[in-house]
Amino acid sequence: MGPISIISEFPEWLNLLIAFFIGIGFGFALEQAGFSSSRRLAGMFYGYDTTVIKVFFTAAIVALAGSQLLSFFGLLNLKLVFVNPYYVNSAILGGIIMGAGFIMGGYCPGTSISALSIGKIDAMIFLLGGMVGAFLFMETYPFIQTIAMENYKGNMRIDEWLGVSSGVFTLLLIIAAVAMFWIAELAEKKFNRPDITSDI
Amino acid sequence: MDARIKYSLLLVGIGIILAFLPFSATDSFRLKSDELLSKSTSAENSLSVDQVARMVNKEDSTMLLIDLREAGQFKECNIPGSINIPFSDLLNPWWEGTFNQKNIKKIFYGNGDQTANCAWSIVTGLGYQNNFVMKGGLNEWFKTVMLSQFRGEKITPLENALYEARFNARKAFTQINSLPDSLKKQYFKAKEIKQLKLDGGCQ
Repeated sequence: MGPISIISEFPEWLNLLIAFFIGIGFGFALEQAGFSSSRRLAGMFYGYDTTVIKVFFTAAIVALAGSQLLSFFGLLNLKLVFVNPYYVNSAILGGIIMGAGFIMGGYCPGTSISALSIGKIDAMIFLLGGMVGAFLFMETYPFIQTIAMENYKGNMRIDEWLGVSSGVFTLLLIIAAVAMFWIAELAEKKFNRPDITSDI
Repeated sequence: MDARIKYSLLLVGIGIILAFLPFSATDSFRLKSDELLSKSTSAENSLSVDQVARMVNKEDSTMLLIDLREAGQFKECNIPGSINIPFSDLLNPWWEGTFNQKNIKKIFYGNGDQTANCAWSIVTGLGYQNNFVMKGGLNEWFKTVMLSQFRGEKITPLENALYEARFNARKAFTQINSLPDSLKKQYFKAKEIKQLKLDGGCQ
């Protein structure tokens, strides 16, 4: 029964090797989906290209429905799956900074590496900026630590918070995703711009 | 019909099916009653106190002793190398990682046999493997390991080995349990490290 690897069972190098191959697959999929184009990514904010929201919602509902089906058939133990701890302040502040960086630079950290690997110069500059940001964060961490660690909610799950079963939550998320897909399509029509990707 | 409408209906349909599926598979018994019966009647699921004593002496890393008594009793005394999972706390998801380790022999003990047998049935029924019960529990441990004395004139090599194992286990038991509370705490913390690692993820 899954998860396939419990960290203490596999040697560290094997865990890293698996992560390496998953990383390559992830990067390849990102590039193929067009996520190495900063125009496409920034299009999300302006409404002319909503690939990002479609991909993220698809990923969320596939992962959610898939993991629950695997759990139903006894192939995956969901209790052993890691749930990210929720720091409210960090999530809000980090979200704002990340969003601002995203719209200014046209990438998020993962997609910038994907774009870097196909030789985009703006991605190199973006990544350099990211590294400077990470350095500044580490250097100033002692000062912001108390703010960042405040409002700690533990390993929180939305379904538990709402008091519904995980199946019902999956249904709600699927309905939200379908609604978002329709809104995204409408937005693309409304804010349509000529495709310039092939010109450059 | 527009492909978009088709996909939307398909997705919502899947969602409705998922909403009605019971997702407590990991909480429910996976063994059928006859399987559990045949497993529990097999003699291979219990270990004698002497077998456990030998494992304790070897500091066998493939076994994990699980003390099912309440925390207060556990703090008072416990077999070296054991962790405390109070019987009432057995189904706490926190222990999932402990039970899920197939390659480690999980040996349950309480004061007598009853709680250990119940815990064995629950954990085995939930589908975890490699579970054992220490026959007789701590009462038997005290009688056999802590209080046993050789009375006789001649001792065979077999008896000698048995008494030596009991004596060493007794020594370890007394040493661990006579540690001051602060050191005991450190000792148990050191045993918890493995458990914490299971959290994983990037923090």
